[in-house]
Amino acid sequence: MDMLTEMVHIIVAFAVAWILFIATDIIFRLPEKGGVSGAKAIGEEIEKAGGNINGGYMMGNIVSSPDASAGTLLAACGVFIAGIWGGLFAAVLVYIGNRICHDKGYAGTTGAVIATFVIYAFITYAGFAPEQFIAGMILAILTIQGISHKYASKVLGKLWRLRA
Amino acid sequence: MTDILLMVFAAIAILGAAATAIQKNPYDKLISLGMLFAGVIPFVVAGGYLDVAISLALIVPITTIILLQAVWRCRL
Amino acid sequence: MIVESICAIVALYASIRILAEKNTLRKLPFLNVLNFAITGLIALILPHPMGIAAAAAYFVGSTLESNAIASTFAKQSEVADD
Repeated sequence: MDMLTEMVHIIVAFAVAWILFIATDIIFRLPEKGGVSGAKAIGEEIEKAGGNINGGYMMGNIVSSPDASAGTLLAACGVFIAGIWGGLFAAVLVYIGNRICHDKGYAGTTGAVIATFVIYAFITYAGFAPEQFIAGMILAILTIQGISHKYASKVLGKLWRLRA
Repeated sequence: MTDILLMVFAAIAILGAAATAIQKNPYDKLISLGMLFAGVIPFVVAGGYLDVAISLALIVPITTIILLQAVWRCRL
Repeated sequence: MIVESICAIVALYASIRILAEKNTLRKLPFLNVLNFAITGLIALILPHPMGIAAAAAYFVGSTLESNAIASTFAKQSEVADD
């Protein structure tokens, strides 16, 4: 596989992972409130820096408990190591991790299971490699948490207003 | 390839250790300590000791949580 | 090879952003990015069945750590305000 094809595959995997975890998080109402006190404090701090409060709550929730983004990443790692059963095993581990962090664990587990099947479909029918989804998920979390908290929280707040 | 990767992790671990020593705020110190641990664990994995990596990944956060009870008494 | 380079560059970028950020609570999202990159690299460096458990244990542990730091810091700020 030449380098250009691999880069195009990584970009497509980035778009798929971004849409997958943002959609799952918003459907499970993560931006509504800070689930734990730490997530609430991070959301308020991001609002103080000029961002949106609902986007801030969602970023705080991503920091303080394993949600759909962690589910997608660990499902990609599981599919990379051991095929479809590895992805489902990763979903079980995400559920256990959610229970350790005092979270209900629906968003993370659902995200991991959906991501396992989506990644498996892309590998089987479109010729992707599972490690390209690991890179895509890392780039996706970089755009949300790592570039600019102000603009990322505004984008998340706009998407949340569509849902609410 | 793995050698170049490990040099990057060594840089992260050294940066984390220096930041832990320099910073004044105790919470910033704990965050830098997490960064130091993030730089160290790929060395354990590259050596093949996955069981050591799992036990480290569980022991270090518990140590941080116990350390937070001491940090709680500091004045900011 | 591209995949590993992307993970390493993201990890280095996130650690530089952690050091550059002044506000304690706003450091935590960058620490989360660093943890994502390291979790991916644990699976990429050593593809072994126990690697899934190692990656999940590392991710859950680091999440628990940042959760504890954030909630203790928030509680202490409230006490200091009163």
